[in-house]
Amino acid sequence: MTTTTTTGLGEAPALSPKDFNSGLKPIWCPGCGDFGVLSGLYRALSTIGRPPHEIAFISGIGCSSRIPGYTTAYGFNSVHGRALPIAQGVKLSNPDLLVIVAGGDGDGFSIGGGHVAHAVRRNTDLTYIVMDNQVYGLTKGQLSPTAPKGLKTITSPFGSLEDPINPLLYVLAYGAGFVAQSTPADMPGMTSILEEAIRYPGFAFVNIQSPCVTFGQEEQQVRAQKTHMKPLASLGHDPSDLQKALELAGHYGTELYTGVFYRNPEPPLSYDRLIRLRQDEMAKQARPRAQILDAYLQK
Amino acid sequence: MNTTVDDLVLGMAGSGGDGVVSAGESLLGALSAEGYHAMMTKSFGPQIRGGESSCRVRVSTRRVLNPGGALDVAFALNWEDFFRFGAELTLSADTVLIHEEKAGPPPETLGARGIVPTQILSVPVTEITKQSAGTDKAKTSVVLGLISGWFGIPAESLKRGLRKKFLSKGEDVLAANDRALAAGIAYAEAHPLLKPRTLEKTTAPPGSKMLCDGNDMCAAGALFSGVQFFGGYPITPSTEIMQTLSKEIWKYGGVVLQAEDEIAGIGAALGASFAGRKAMTATSGPGMALKTEILGLASIAELPLVIVNVQRGGPSTGIPTKPEQADLYQAAFSAHGDVLRPILAPTCVADTFAITVEAFNVAEHYQTPVILLSDQEIAQRKETVDRIDTSKLVVEERLRPQGAELEPYLRFRKTESGISPLSQPGMAGGAYQGAGIEHNEKGEPSSSGVMHAQMNAKRFDKLAPLSKRKDLFEITGDLDAPLALVSWGSSAGVAREVLALARSRGVKAKLIVPYLVYPVAEEVYADFFASVRAGLVLELSHQGQLYRILRMYVDVPKGVRSLAQSGANPFRPAEVLEKLLEAAKGAGIR
Amino acid sequence: MSLEVPLNLKSRNLDLAQLSLCDAIDLAVLVEEEARDRYADFADQLTLHHTPEAAGFFRWMSEIEEKHRKELAERRQAKFGTQPSRVNLGMIFDIEAPEHGEARVFMTEREALDVALRSEQSAQAFFAAAKDAVRDPETRALFAELEIEEILHQRLVREEIAELPPDSPGNQEDYSDPPVQQ
Repeated sequence: MTTTTTTGLGEAPALSPKDFNSGLKPIWCPGCGDFGVLSGLYRALSTIGRPPHEIAFISGIGCSSRIPGYTTAYGFNSVHGRALPIAQGVKLSNPDLLVIVAGGDGDGFSIGGGHVAHAVRRNTDLTYIVMDNQVYGLTKGQLSPTAPKGLKTITSPFGSLEDPINPLLYVLAYGAGFVAQSTPADMPGMTSILEEAIRYPGFAFVNIQSPCVTFGQEEQQVRAQKTHMKPLASLGHDPSDLQKALELAGHYGTELYTGVFYRNPEPPLSYDRLIRLRQDEMAKQARPRAQILDAYLQK
Repeated sequence: MNTTVDDLVLGMAGSGGDGVVSAGESLLGALSAEGYHAMMTKSFGPQIRGGESSCRVRVSTRRVLNPGGALDVAFALNWEDFFRFGAELTLSADTVLIHEEKAGPPPETLGARGIVPTQILSVPVTEITKQSAGTDKAKTSVVLGLISGWFGIPAESLKRGLRKKFLSKGEDVLAANDRALAAGIAYAEAHPLLKPRTLEKTTAPPGSKMLCDGNDMCAAGALFSGVQFFGGYPITPSTEIMQTLSKEIWKYGGVVLQAEDEIAGIGAALGASFAGRKAMTATSGPGMALKTEILGLASIAELPLVIVNVQRGGPSTGIPTKPEQADLYQAAFSAHGDVLRPILAPTCVADTFAITVEAFNVAEHYQTPVILLSDQEIAQRKETVDRIDTSKLVVEERLRPQGAELEPYLRFRKTESGISPLSQPGMAGGAYQGAGIEHNEKGEPSSSGVMHAQMNAKRFDKLAPLSKRKDLFEITGDLDAPLALVSWGSSAGVAREVLALARSRGVKAKLIVPYLVYPVAEEVYADFFASVRAGLVLELSHQGQLYRILRMYVDVPKGVRSLAQSGANPFRPAEVLEKLLEAAKGAGIR
Repeated sequence: MSLEVPLNLKSRNLDLAQLSLCDAIDLAVLVEEEARDRYADFADQLTLHHTPEAAGFFRWMSEIEEKHRKELAERRQAKFGTQPSRVNLGMIFDIEAPEHGEARVFMTEREALDVALRSEQSAQAFFAAAKDAVRDPETRALFAELEIEEILHQRLVREEIAELPPDSPGNQEDYSDPPVQQ
């Protein structure tokens, strides 16, 4: 958890959280964890200071993937599981944009799971927010890839026989430079993590335990989370300690740790920055349009 | 008596280690530098290295329309490999068949094929190579020398080409190759042909020709159009497009993303288009299958995107190294929902450039995914191309909102043309929600049937002017002829030659080649077929997919039949001509 | 519900000790504004999800919070005019606004009132803690005043609850249509 810090006072913020609210009414169920995520994101974005039109917000399909539409940023509510590739196309095409990607656990770690490793290893400067509720809400409560073994759902009526994916270990294993977890049960902490993730100059992953009020389990709800969440800061975790981060992340599913598991203390240049360097270096070699074909002349 | 010919088709086959394809490339390079028109097609066994390989080189003083029919000159380094390419390397009685002496006399099976060349020459290629170059590795230089000596192909250009190829190998290798080439020429001069044949001198100035393949021209056309993003995944036979752009695109501020899979490739490209950049992907049939979901997204989000499918034999892995034109149904119909995606098709290496530019223009103008259907033959066949006058080509940009259009901005504003100004992230006042979900004019989700019908109509209506564009069709021959040919893609090259052959025999005929394959331009075909009583729709697919799609939309005259055959079975102009004349006869046309 | 609400679960980037009187009034205005908007959001959500009684109550709460906000804003205007504000909405979380997770489809009016009561308690706890944290006496007096306000609000809400007929027995969830897949 982030403790109260002394900043802000004295600086007139250029943007208010309201500047990021599109006014479109979310269709989420009342009490859905995603409302908190949205509210935290408005606040985090207002402190980042980039105007909404310089932000591209890409999502896949699922309840949580509706989130871009509730912001004033450019949004793209795309197809199931493909938010990360689309977002990379956006960011690599225009590195000046702030690019945020969001979706659920099914979108990110089931149908789109194959893309995560590659987004991580490329280290494009993106913030990937997964609203993890261990269930498919939009299609009415089927088993999700992060659902605990034994969970009964309408597609696992006798209990799931599968072990869940561990999203935190997954991204840590592929070398993500920023890996954090939070919950709307800790709004200021979650907001600070979102802000920090957005500011991280590379691929940043935030897993948010965002409960499903309709299909979720009682112990996943915000009220329950408040009693069992464990801020990593209170455990004295040093986010630059990768080994310890891996160990702590291994407890996904049994412990609700909140905070930053890992932050690369020396972030390498992100993919989009490297690409820009290459483009700058090679720009001199560009031929005028009319001479592009001369390369094929046979002499 | 020496005959001078203006057209010569050579074919070679050997094991991968023999280097026949490299030899073909050297030959092609030399011919094109001299100013000849030339074309080369290659065919390989399935091995990555060391398998059997073959090439055909057709050279002419006139434009070469297709790889040609039976070989004029055949070179077999061993018989087993040679006969494996029976479909590509066909012989006639007139073929000069040259073989490596070591391979022994032609096997009995040659006779069983019905056609035995009258001139069969046995040459001790390995021996000559050893004696001249001091090694048997430089066999193909001897082969090139033999070809040069017998058929009058300028030795200087060949030598220059070989020297360029071996430049980095040191003076010893260069000198050995020179000697091998000279030895080949000397052997040919000492052993004249029974019926000598020499290639006519070209009048075209040297250095006036490009040498390239269709994938080169696709990449170049994309760069010309201002492509700034390529997302793709390696797949034969389209990969060279990505390879070329990987070398070039950075210079123009663009990006190539070799994605983790086909889906990510098109996804990233669509993201780039959303971000306001011209974007493309390239693939072949199986990859195309994986991309179809995002194609649907591109259609409903109304984002420009060029998708190249270099067709190969299918389904599934099929025959990755050989051409087929059987992905037309897939391109036209593999959509979910009511969707119309324009399909453009080049017909040769040269026009791949302009058709690629056109694909970008259509995509950007109409804010739609456009499928460019190339095929393995066009894509990978190297040929000479006259310089292209690019000054006449227009490059279009998407319509972007300005002024009052941003107050407020309605992404899917209903306009007269159906085309709505398209903003992009970074543009103040233009923020909107792109989505795969049906939406209202503002871009907000809508599940209303009324809205869905309106938006469907908008997405179709905006494309209506496209199928009225006659400039996307090539109509040649006698315009009032009752006999017609219809063909597309690489098969169109054969159709053009068949048309010329028919007319040279005094048969009135005409040909239509669509560059816009879909939507079917009903009026253009109706006009074309008005005078027609018989003809052929020529295409390389078992089902005759173009023929059937035409019949979906157009009253195709009864006498117009499908001449369709599976891929990897190239059409021979002479055979097609025969079929065309049969069709004419059947309809009572003389 | 305990009145011990840790400040770091309610605010961010905010050092209460440094607040001036102007900052404190500005903060109080924001607290009311956050509550007004949250109740309005709840009213919208429950209207969309066909839970009209609770929606009506939340709409009414939103109007009350707006009234409070306006009063405070007028005081601020009178005392400090156009002096620029140093606090903003991004600094506070659910002080008087009910937490996002509190709304439920088919919630009864009584359940909605319970939500409001907890929120007023939360606000009271925040102002009590703030009162102890600030150094400036005038600011402290303001927070003390706000704390008492919240106690009065709680009383109002309790009176409302007392007037409500008891909820009819049974759970609406048991009788309603199952969720719909999208």
